[in-house]
Amino acid sequence: MKNKYFFNALVLILSCFCFVSCGSDDSYTKVPDVNEPASPVTLNLDAVPYATLSEYNFFEGDLKNLSPVYKVIPYDLNSELFTDYALKKRFIWMPVGSKATYISDSKISDFPVGTVLIKNFYYNTVAPDNSTYIVETRLMIKKVSGWIFATYVWNDEQTEAVLDNDGYSMRMSWNQNGTAMSTNYKVPTQQDCLKCHQINETPVPVGVKPQNLNKMYAYADGTKNQLTKWIEAGYLDTKPNGIISTVNWQDETQPLELRVRSYLDINCAHCHSTGTSCDYTPMELSFAQNESLFNLGVCREPVDFVTGNQQYIVKGGDVPGSLMHFRMSTTIQSEMMPTLGRTVVHQEGLQLIEDWINSLENTCD
Amino acid sequence: MKKIFTIISCGISAFALHAQTNCATAVPVTSGTYNASYSDGSQVPALICTNGIDNDVTMGIWYSYTSATTVNVTVSTDVQGFTPKDTRVHVYNGACGSLTCVAGDDDSGTSYSSIVSFTAQAGVTYYIAFDNNWDDTDFTFQVFETAFTAPLFDTVMYNVTGAYVMCVVDMNGDYLDDIVVPDNNQIKMFYQQTDGTFTETARVAGSTPYMPGWSLAAGDYDGNGFNDLLYGNGNGAALMIANADGTQYTAMQSPQSIFSQRTNFVDLNNDGHLDAFVCHDIAPNCYFLNDGNGGFSWVQGGIGDHPSGGNYGSIWVDYDNDGDADLFIAKCRGGGDPASINELHRNNGDGTFTNVSEQANLADMLQTWSTAWGDFDNDGDMDALVGANSTANGPHKLMRNNGDGTFTDVTDGSGFADLFELNREHIAHDFNNDGWIDVMGGGNYIMFNNGDMTFTKTQANASVGPIGDLNNDGFLDILNFNQMKLNNGNDNNWIKLYLEGTESNRNGIGARVEVYAEGDGWEKQIRDVRSGDGFRYMSSLNTHFGLGTTDAIEQIIIKWPSGIIDVIENPDVNQAITVQEGSTLGTGKFATNLFSTYPNPVKDILYFASDDATEITEAHVYDISGKLISTSAVENNALKVQQLSNGNYLLVLKDSDGKYYSAKFIKK
Repeated sequence: MKNKYFFNALVLILSCFCFVSCGSDDSYTKVPDVNEPASPVTLNLDAVPYATLSEYNFFEGDLKNLSPVYKVIPYDLNSELFTDYALKKRFIWMPVGSKATYISDSKISDFPVGTVLIKNFYYNTVAPDNSTYIVETRLMIKKVSGWIFATYVWNDEQTEAVLDNDGYSMRMSWNQNGTAMSTNYKVPTQQDCLKCHQINETPVPVGVKPQNLNKMYAYADGTKNQLTKWIEAGYLDTKPNGIISTVNWQDETQPLELRVRSYLDINCAHCHSTGTSCDYTPMELSFAQNESLFNLGVCREPVDFVTGNQQYIVKGGDVPGSLMHFRMSTTIQSEMMPTLGRTVVHQEGLQLIEDWINSLENTCD
Repeated sequence: MKKIFTIISCGISAFALHAQTNCATAVPVTSGTYNASYSDGSQVPALICTNGIDNDVTMGIWYSYTSATTVNVTVSTDVQGFTPKDTRVHVYNGACGSLTCVAGDDDSGTSYSSIVSFTAQAGVTYYIAFDNNWDDTDFTFQVFETAFTAPLFDTVMYNVTGAYVMCVVDMNGDYLDDIVVPDNNQIKMFYQQTDGTFTETARVAGSTPYMPGWSLAAGDYDGNGFNDLLYGNGNGAALMIANADGTQYTAMQSPQSIFSQRTNFVDLNNDGHLDAFVCHDIAPNCYFLNDGNGGFSWVQGGIGDHPSGGNYGSIWVDYDNDGDADLFIAKCRGGGDPASINELHRNNGDGTFTNVSEQANLADMLQTWSTAWGDFDNDGDMDALVGANSTANGPHKLMRNNGDGTFTDVTDGSGFADLFELNREHIAHDFNNDGWIDVMGGGNYIMFNNGDMTFTKTQANASVGPIGDLNNDGFLDILNFNQMKLNNGNDNNWIKLYLEGTESNRNGIGARVEVYAEGDGWEKQIRDVRSGDGFRYMSSLNTHFGLGTTDAIEQIIIKWPSGIIDVIENPDVNQAITVQEGSTLGTGKFATNLFSTYPNPVKDILYFASDDATEITEAHVYDISGKLISTSAVENNALKVQQLSNGNYLLVLKDSDGKYYSAKFIKK
């Protein structure tokens, strides 16, 4: 009885889904032209950020299903930033007739004015009943003057999300692979956003670099390389044949160092690379620069004071002697790294760094 | 070289050590070089005196050491001419069956060899035990003795745990410095007792998501006699307000998200109520503006408004000697961002501030998290050691106050050019009570002030932590997490002041305290009473002066934020004096000593007469309750009083030498 009910529900859901996707397919054309249907998205650059998320019309049906309308394209990154185990659903949208210009594998493409990056933060194992709860939706919108940030906090009913750029804390309790976890989840302020999204004092996106986007994605109409999809959708002008790409740091079939470099790029490079807020520290952790052990901080002495006994950012074979590991292993605010975006230790990421340090020879002394 | 090596080799062969397999038969050693070998069945050192990884230890090598006199002893397996091995060593005392750890070391030498030093008391036997935690091959070690010099601090282990061991301040109103450890829903108090012990009590505290992850400050926000706390957290700030008897704390949170850095209590608008200031890392600074009824209004802006912040170490200091607390902000930010340029904000005395960084010559782009302020040259104004946390934009800078609102870089030759150690924390205190303020920063060094704007880098067995007098002996101690570093002191004299504000805030934060005496190269010392120095810790609110060999103080002047001036004549040294605001008004010996006032009662003009050439330059008139009525310059030893209504008045007079006198008069 129970199974049958589930099956009926599944059929119902699938048929809805099919109906929606068929509906788009009928009028879908690969090359934008005058006959292309308009995207339902509403974006008046003079009026954004809107007071509520629903005003943009990014999603159809129940808002909480995050079911994108035409031309709101989901995407994913090879490796993603750790933010207290929150899950993320990302989308991109651009105004009709505009597209991004590829610059290089490691640089943010030149996105057209009107581009919106949509990132939803949620948990799907929220205590006590393992329910799904969307906490916030962060937008980056490119205006003529540059990128702006807009953060929308979801209501308890999950029917709407309201603009809140002043920061917000909420108690979040969830089940993380069998472990009950709890923290004060922090929705960022505008200034918090800038702490990471800034190079040479100019707001910038972090994730949407070709190196991070170059992966397959299971779209509703089939699996495809994300960059290829963007080109087909008219969102990107071109891409080179071979893209020097990050990998999924969780993919154990990949070389350990490549996983580490990918992890450090997405989690650390926004403050530890040229032109960023902590560029004076002895590291250059951006993927394009972190192939050298020197830039990874190996045998580099910290330039600022260390409260522990760590003499190097990374010391091969010596986990306790490596400051990078210590900073990742603590939750003391004045000691931990990153300083924003996490309140708990990313145990799996820490293990990755630990494995890597242990794999290195001590070349420091 | 070869010859020396031969001699050492001979020296080794002279010692045929075979009995070093257990504690009971440990072979005595003295200064010298020894070969050591492990043997099966030897006693494993069960008591581990080192931190770090413990592997499966199966063997030990045991020696004993006894000295007739107290000496410092070093045991090292990092011996010149021999390949260092990956050793580990423990030093014990006590009986073989009940050993206790004295010291230990794993990897302090090159190539994971060990170097350990300890002080051997006269006639006490110590056991030196090596184990094969890492390596069981033969090795060579050396024992050498150096003359015993008392360390600067005695280390006393204390049973305190938690993430927030960062505060030494009085919490129960007895002015003895307590150890204060915030925790979730409670504050652990270790109340200092008059006998030097501590009584541990956990006080219930309101829940807050804003634990002091970045900094902590203390002050009596509601003026009830029990200090309150200010937590600086990466997501906000919280005030923890003590109830009427200091047994429970209620939380008040900041209404907006703040990336807090240094926090301070300070009376920003001089209304007699402390406000709670929070440095913001990524936005303009904010504060809880005390409404006088235990609540607050929230303010962001006006004091350090760089849009992307960079505010790390706020310190309130009266740099221009105008009687109100100005703000210096140590700033930090990479990427060449101007958010890293240090700022000095002059208090205009009306609750507003003016950025005077450029004209003061303090607008440095330097990666600093805190700056130490004190009158290093005892010339009557506050100087600054701008302490670097990274040399990316330059090293430490010592800036002398020129007395005219500007500062001059006097780093060259001061000793700070040789302090390569960096720190988030830079603090200024007189650690050796010689009357000259010292600086503590990176690398466990104290920069002892030589009295001529030069400093001597001296190794200390302590690092920066909250500062206070943990054994009430008049010498400043440091709390390093679970270690109390008790200052061993010396013969220098000292005096401490316990302030109780009435018109001003209860702690007297913002008061300027001056000591006048014939010192060792000084005639005057000054302190600003402040809550929150360095980067994150909270140190004692009591005011401490070292006096050197001086055993006679002429005067102590306390200039309260209210304008009241208290004068303490000839206090005894080596004591703590409690001063209630205004309590010395009208009690001075003015009338019978150097000066007299006439006529009394007075109608229009009050005259001052002295028996020498000293002139009165300034007069502060208070009503009988201690409220300041007027401050005016005095010429020709005459003060117009015809504007005053009839009644009794208190008077504080300043003479041309900067000394103060108090008296009473009657207006008719």
